[in-house]
Amino acid sequence: MTVSSRSKWILPVLAVCLLIILASILFGAQSLNMAQAWHEWRTHTPLSEAPTLSILLNQRLPRTLAALLAGAGLALAGCAFQALLRNPLAEPYTLGVASAGALGTWLSFILVDVGWFFGLSLRLPTAQICAFAFAGAEVLLVYGLASRKRRMAPSVLLLAGVTMGMLGNSGIMFTRYLAAPERLVMMDRWLMGGVDVLGYRPVITLFIGVVPCAAILIAQAAKFDQFGFNAELAAGRGIHLGRLQVTTFFVGSLMTAIIVSVVGPIGFVGLVIPHSVRMITGSRHRLLMPLSLIVGGAFLCACDIAARKILPGETPIGIITTLIGGPFFLYLLIRRKFTDWDV
Amino acid sequence: MYTLNAESLNFAYEPGSDVLRGVNASVIGGRITGLVGPNGSGKSTLLRLLCGFLQPNSGTVKLDGRPLVSLSAAERARTLAFLPQMVDPVFSLTVFEVVCLGRYPYTGMIGSLRSHDLEVVARCLQDTETEPLRHREFGSLSGGERQRVLLASILAQEPKLMLLDEPTSSLDIHHEVEVFELLARLARQGYGIAVVTHDLNLAAQYCEELLLLSADHSVLASGKPEEVFTEALLSTAYAASIRVGKHPFTGAPFVAAQSTRETPP
Repeated sequence: MTVSSRSKWILPVLAVCLLIILASILFGAQSLNMAQAWHEWRTHTPLSEAPTLSILLNQRLPRTLAALLAGAGLALAGCAFQALLRNPLAEPYTLGVASAGALGTWLSFILVDVGWFFGLSLRLPTAQICAFAFAGAEVLLVYGLASRKRRMAPSVLLLAGVTMGMLGNSGIMFTRYLAAPERLVMMDRWLMGGVDVLGYRPVITLFIGVVPCAAILIAQAAKFDQFGFNAELAAGRGIHLGRLQVTTFFVGSLMTAIIVSVVGPIGFVGLVIPHSVRMITGSRHRLLMPLSLIVGGAFLCACDIAARKILPGETPIGIITTLIGGPFFLYLLIRRKFTDWDV
Repeated sequence: MYTLNAESLNFAYEPGSDVLRGVNASVIGGRITGLVGPNGSGKSTLLRLLCGFLQPNSGTVKLDGRPLVSLSAAERARTLAFLPQMVDPVFSLTVFEVVCLGRYPYTGMIGSLRSHDLEVVARCLQDTETEPLRHREFGSLSGGERQRVLLASILAQEPKLMLLDEPTSSLDIHHEVEVFELLARLARQGYGIAVVTHDLNLAAQYCEELLLLSADHSVLASGKPEEVFTEALLSTAYAASIRVGKHPFTGAPFVAAQSTRETPP
């Protein structure tokens, strides 16, 4: 099947994404009466006396925006890491970047509890800074380990990433007892991943983190095409590989860290989405990356709808994405030719 | 005619273990220059120095008299094209897309192609006889088809000089000849081509100039095939007993190894 014959799916996919996003605003624990909300809006009823509009504006809308931004950023980070590492299984979660960011965020919670950052934490986005410090260090370490040999081995990269992920998780378990018990419930809930934000502060944090980073990554699209095809050919065409690596690792881990610090470690979005979108767009990044952005956002909205609807109460969204992404990862692993895996 | 000149290049990846010693080399428009020599003699390294990927510890590489380092990356890419030995993409691209990648030095950040770019791509597909493959996936091609597509992709860079690292190493004799025929045709069009190869007989047949590197990382001989491919020089370079005759059809030097070792173990 040629690329042009597949690209006819782009518009239908975009339409479905739009429907999912709308559904994410409409459906929830309670169904909202839109006419009622519209009436409350028109009559300028104060929010305290307008229950429907209040739920819409203070819960559904920020929640949907958070899912959109987080999903978009994670999917895009997946695209970028896959191209840069020339490894279709790379994404923030399998590389361990997400877990490192989670460990950083977790430690920032504890630092706040212990009171080291008392006073400071009010002014600095401690969680984001700690998350980025850990995520950035982790990605450099994994890359360093995997590229010690002349040719970067895909299997070493993934094993190192998964191992770092496990280390991050045990770091979290190890430091649990340091946390104040009454906050542990909140922290555990964060750790399972969730976009159930209240109000717009988290949304603004996500926006500031995701939008500039996404723009920088998409601006590298043509370079990712070249690099994904062959590194030396790319260099011969005038691409500065070191600069591309530094930019992508810095921006990709920053974006992942900020997302994780707000919504928790949500796995496999960066794996499932780029692969699915590639079936429609082919591998040209200037089409793949923007569409992954949109589909990733809509995907996380859909997962969030499921999180609200499957069980009474809330299912953590991280569990849902892992239930979808885990088997997907295994499928890709099985399908790959083993000749590609020589260490 | 563009000329790439390297003078007294010295290079070592690590201090103390030289990979190239005092190497002079040139790539001249309209000619195929063959870089030959035993494994580990530094052929591929020389090619990477010539295209500016690596910087020599001493010595200079000049493009038409200008130091290569003074050119901007895009300027260099429009003059010099490099083809690595192994191209094994991780994502699937069509032949057309692969050739379009060659237009990178001419496009803006978005990488969108204008009608002129598409004309160049179409011409490159035709020149390499890969037009019928344009909708195929690169990964599904045979070795010979891949090399022709890669050459098309290099040509789309509209370079003046091309540096090719073992472009025929994984091909059977038929496709090997096909690639060299294509290179000869390109050289006649004015391209300057440097090619690293282990096939001495094809090198003797198709290269105007040969550069023989020896195991001690220096140039043992350079010049026309008849001057370089002598029994004495080749036997020294490869540390083997090598006989040179005449190719039965072309009259070019014909090389055969007599035994694998000069001295028994």
